[in-house]
Amino acid sequence: MNWSSPLPALVLVSAVLAVGTYALAVLDRANGDRVARRRLRPRDAVLQPARAASLLLLTRPTATERPDAQAWALAPALLAAMAAGALATVPLDRGVTVADVDDGIVLFGAAMAIVMVAVYLHGWSANSPLPLLGGYRFIALALSYEMPLALVLIAAALPAQSLSVGAIVESQQGLWNVLRQPLGLPLYLVAGMGLGFWGPLNTSDAPDLAGGTAVEVSGPQRLAWELARRFVVVAVAAMGAAVFLGGWQGPVLPGWAWMALKTLLLLAVVAHLGHRVARVRLERFVVVAWTVLIPLALVDVFVSGALAL
Amino acid sequence: MSTSLTVDIAFGLFSAATVVAAWLVFRTDSMVRAAYWLLASFAGVGAVMVLLHARFLGLVLVLMMAGEMTIMAVFMVMFMMNPAGLNPMTMVHQHRTAKIAGVVAFAGLALVGLVADFPDRPADRGRDPTADLGRELLGDSMLIFETAGVTLLASMIGALALASKRGRYGDAEEGSAPPPLEPVAGPRTGADTVTEPEAEADSGEHAGMSHG
Repeated sequence: MNWSSPLPALVLVSAVLAVGTYALAVLDRANGDRVARRRLRPRDAVLQPARAASLLLLTRPTATERPDAQAWALAPALLAAMAAGALATVPLDRGVTVADVDDGIVLFGAAMAIVMVAVYLHGWSANSPLPLLGGYRFIALALSYEMPLALVLIAAALPAQSLSVGAIVESQQGLWNVLRQPLGLPLYLVAGMGLGFWGPLNTSDAPDLAGGTAVEVSGPQRLAWELARRFVVVAVAAMGAAVFLGGWQGPVLPGWAWMALKTLLLLAVVAHLGHRVARVRLERFVVVAWTVLIPLALVDVFVSGALAL
Repeated sequence: MSTSLTVDIAFGLFSAATVVAAWLVFRTDSMVRAAYWLLASFAGVGAVMVLLHARFLGLVLVLMMAGEMTIMAVFMVMFMMNPAGLNPMTMVHQHRTAKIAGVVAFAGLALVGLVADFPDRPADRGRDPTADLGRELLGDSMLIFETAGVTLLASMIGALALASKRGRYGDAEEGSAPPPLEPVAGPRTGADTVTEPEAEADSGEHAGMSHG
């Protein structure tokens, strides 16, 4: 089947996003229960995301005074579209990539750069102080970890001598990038969690801003926003599995199963960290990002480049 | 539908969207909207570049512009004393100069488009534009690009210095005194802020106003 033709591509990307998002929500709930020392009820953990989503769907939408209605409606759609576009570049099995372009990793980076625009617009267009603060917080953080994200992805592309994600997966035959470039995956996960404003890096939609960019949004639009940010996390996890964990490669099981397992593993790590690590302080984290994360990412690029030569 | 027809239709759509978005940059009354209409326009240009098989350049253009337009919006908000960029403000100034410049630029470009003899050199299909670009950047054009890079870096540092909390008039958080009720000749000094508690005691009924 040709997965790049429009209809199969749409079905495949939507299915992966839906399954991944539900898995993330279940993992998140299970981790939350463990941290809160509630008894872990598997049935609850599985049903809770559906309940929360239907509650949001039935909630009445609210409005603020003179919002920028177009940008407000655009923000969740843009975020979801960028997540879908980023996921399209990931090889889900041997030869199954929706957007199998030879600059796939650049396309992924471009989609992740527009995430910043979506989150800022979401905060700015509500015409309300707390969302606006959330939007500015996201810019401050996102600008700090766009650079490490781009650098670790470039480092992963160096041994493959190609910007194609498929070639990067192929280049990990024998040795996965997580071992070959030990700095890559941790830095990538920090940046990726930040792009989905998840857990410790969720400063833009944080409880200390009463919900940040989403505080004035309720009802279906809120549901769309909450889904879209989880789509971003799923896309980031899938790309992480492809670029650092060898993608579809693995013994016995078929390629797609390995890809699913590895993506789920990264989602579990993200869900775990989301509940176990304290929220960062914005100003301090920006300093850490520029003085620690970017130099580490540069070391990653230089060492990988030297090894690839 | 044949590929070339699809490409032609896509080219038309993206070009039209680019022009409309660029026009909307000047029709909006908000710095943030103007910045993001410009980003939409650049994204259209990026899409056209992808259609022209310059895929890497097109994608990098979008990647860079997403960050740059956001930074531009933030800097405009910082410099324009427009809290948070929420207040409407006009995006066009110096109407006559702008009109003349616009007409001259359009006429010039149109003239080039009509008169110039464009080369017809179809590139070989086997060539890799990304690799060619890399060789160009680190080969013959290296000096030009490095000069441009250093210039941009210097202007970035300059903009940051202008916007930073510690400016030439001292720390931004300490220097901000409420305006005096009586007009004062000359620039305000730090002494105003130091003596403020006494001033407040002197004119008790105005103190609330001066903080408003």
